[in-house]
Amino acid sequence: MSGVFFLAWRYLLWHRWKTVILLLAVTLVIYVPLGLQLLVQQTATDMTARADRSPLLLGGRGSPLELVLNSLYFSAGLPPALNYGQVDELRASGLVKPIPLYVRFQSQGHPIVGTNLDYFAFRGLPIAAGRQMVSLGEAVIGARVAERLGIGAGESIVSSPESVFDLAGVYPLKMQVVGVLASAYSQDDNAIFVDVKTAWVIQGLGHGHQDLAQPESAASVLKKDGDRIVANAALVQYNEITADNIDSFHFHGDSDHNPLTAILPVPADDKAGVLIQGRYQSHPQLQIVQPRAIIDELLDTVFAVQRYVLVAMALVGVATAAVVLLVFLLSLRARRAEMDTMSRLGGSRVAIGSLMLAEIVIVLLASVLLAALLTGATLIWGGPLLQAVVMN
Amino acid sequence: MRLFLALALFILTACEQGQDSQLAGDSETAGRAPLIYTVNYPLAWMAQQLAGDAARVMFPAPAEDDPAFWQPDVATVLQYQQADLVLLNGANYARWVANVSLPASRLVDTSAAYREQLIAVDSDPVHSHGPAGEHSHGELAFTTWLDMGLAQLQLQAVTSALQHLMPGESAVIEQRLAALQQKLATMDQRLLATGRQLDDIPLLYSHPVYQYLQRRYHLNGRAVHWEPDKVPSETQWSALESLLRSHPAQVMLWEAPPLPEVELRLNKLGVKTVVFSPMGNRPPQGDFNSGMVANIARLEQL
Repeated sequence: MSGVFFLAWRYLLWHRWKTVILLLAVTLVIYVPLGLQLLVQQTATDMTARADRSPLLLGGRGSPLELVLNSLYFSAGLPPALNYGQVDELRASGLVKPIPLYVRFQSQGHPIVGTNLDYFAFRGLPIAAGRQMVSLGEAVIGARVAERLGIGAGESIVSSPESVFDLAGVYPLKMQVVGVLASAYSQDDNAIFVDVKTAWVIQGLGHGHQDLAQPESAASVLKKDGDRIVANAALVQYNEITADNIDSFHFHGDSDHNPLTAILPVPADDKAGVLIQGRYQSHPQLQIVQPRAIIDELLDTVFAVQRYVLVAMALVGVATAAVVLLVFLLSLRARRAEMDTMSRLGGSRVAIGSLMLAEIVIVLLASVLLAALLTGATLIWGGPLLQAVVMN
Repeated sequence: MRLFLALALFILTACEQGQDSQLAGDSETAGRAPLIYTVNYPLAWMAQQLAGDAARVMFPAPAEDDPAFWQPDVATVLQYQQADLVLLNGANYARWVANVSLPASRLVDTSAAYREQLIAVDSDPVHSHGPAGEHSHGELAFTTWLDMGLAQLQLQAVTSALQHLMPGESAVIEQRLAALQQKLATMDQRLLATGRQLDDIPLLYSHPVYQYLQRRYHLNGRAVHWEPDKVPSETQWSALESLLRSHPAQVMLWEAPPLPEVELRLNKLGVKTVVFSPMGNRPPQGDFNSGMVANIARLEQL
């Protein structure tokens, strides 16, 4: 029997191009529908799991999908802003624990998430190296950010300007990385976390500068009228928050009016969740959404597309199977002379048939093995890839 | 295929176990007495009096520092972050709070209920730069607890926070609240009587920390900016003499006893020194109650 397989193996090696084409065709027919199915299911599981762990989201009235994708997956466009004062209102309700989110800025392609310490407790994100952020201007980074940028605690990152054409905009802020989060196998691994006040400093709502009342700042004073001082363009504003200048950092106006992209209200129980939804249901400027429902809608669309793809793949599979069958049949006809020679050399009909069958079995087995390898790779690496595609 | 499915299942299980262990850690800490941090001594005293042994109350500012201007180091802020409850005074007291990250859900601003009663103090000039318009880094007077009426409201806020943190201790806390309110109310009555007795006579304050005392008890005081452990400069003495011409005070309230030479020179100017400690930090002896009672007794002797 081993002789039959040896001869079949040698034959396939000799006709290597034909074998490779057959192998690829059969592999793809097996892998594509299977891989696609797995990929979509895995992505759906991952996305719904994060949405499930985020019972509610409060944001400015606009696209609910944009709100959910921005707040949970730190992608998509910027949803309409809401005021920080809503956090205090939600907290005062006693129904929920509100976690502010300001996901607007980036640093080297990684989202900067302005939030507070409750976020880390809520998501279960322990610090793997360094420490938790303490002061304004400090950041903790996700595991993947640390890996990709090759930075850790003690180093620094700089916020990216929102537009290269905004020459009069605020200076990028240099932030001290004080900790690296343990890998959470989620979008949090890819984010840079700062206190929401630091995010406002990035935006220019808070800033630090020389004390204009001091004599050494005279060069920066344009006009002084009693208790009113107007600074000129020479006024130095700090683009890094240090122990020496932190006391000079301040915010203009009431922080209740500062912007957020969303609030993650964590209800005390189901009843509290329902009550808080009721309060915002017909709010003219705000919307409260259940992320799971929004993600389900998105996934329904993905599944609908997937069903069309699977039908198409089934048709392609049938056509490919027919072509493969044709190839084998034509191969048998083309090898009639070879089979005659084997018969004259004493080969029985069973042995010759086994040889032909062995060739087919080897090709099919190799294809199944290859498809399994590809499916495995898809399981490991495909989910995040598709998630990125879906969210962008 | 089974191998890969098993691998995926293993990864998912590992993730779940990670979350479970986090939750287990939380539940472990739930067994111990709650940890309460405060930003000044009056709040620490209130919390400790109300909670008794049911909570660990921490106020880590060094005894020699003024908690209003104390800057905790990173390790201390990390301790605050671990607290189950952080009691803030509000009114921009302890400015370091505004520049650090603390768990918002565990912060309680004990003066939130009377925010509109806070006294604004303009210490900085109005200035403008860029498109943001005019603004001032204005300050609020923060020694709120010297108004015993406001102190009682703060006590109520501390009580609510503790009852929320330790529902099982609610009844005991309520009983202790009644006793503490009685103490504060008595102090309030004595201070009101003293205020009436002083009958608008001019006073001096060595430091601008008595705004709430002045407003509540109708005192007629003017503040200078002198430190008890420093001899004022001649410029400061001249300014005082100038002030005395328009505001002929015969008594100056001090946060702590002034240097003997300062007291002597003040006496020569006809100004008697009286210590009225704001009790912002832990006293060397006694507690908030005994310290304030001693303050009031000294004021009553005027």
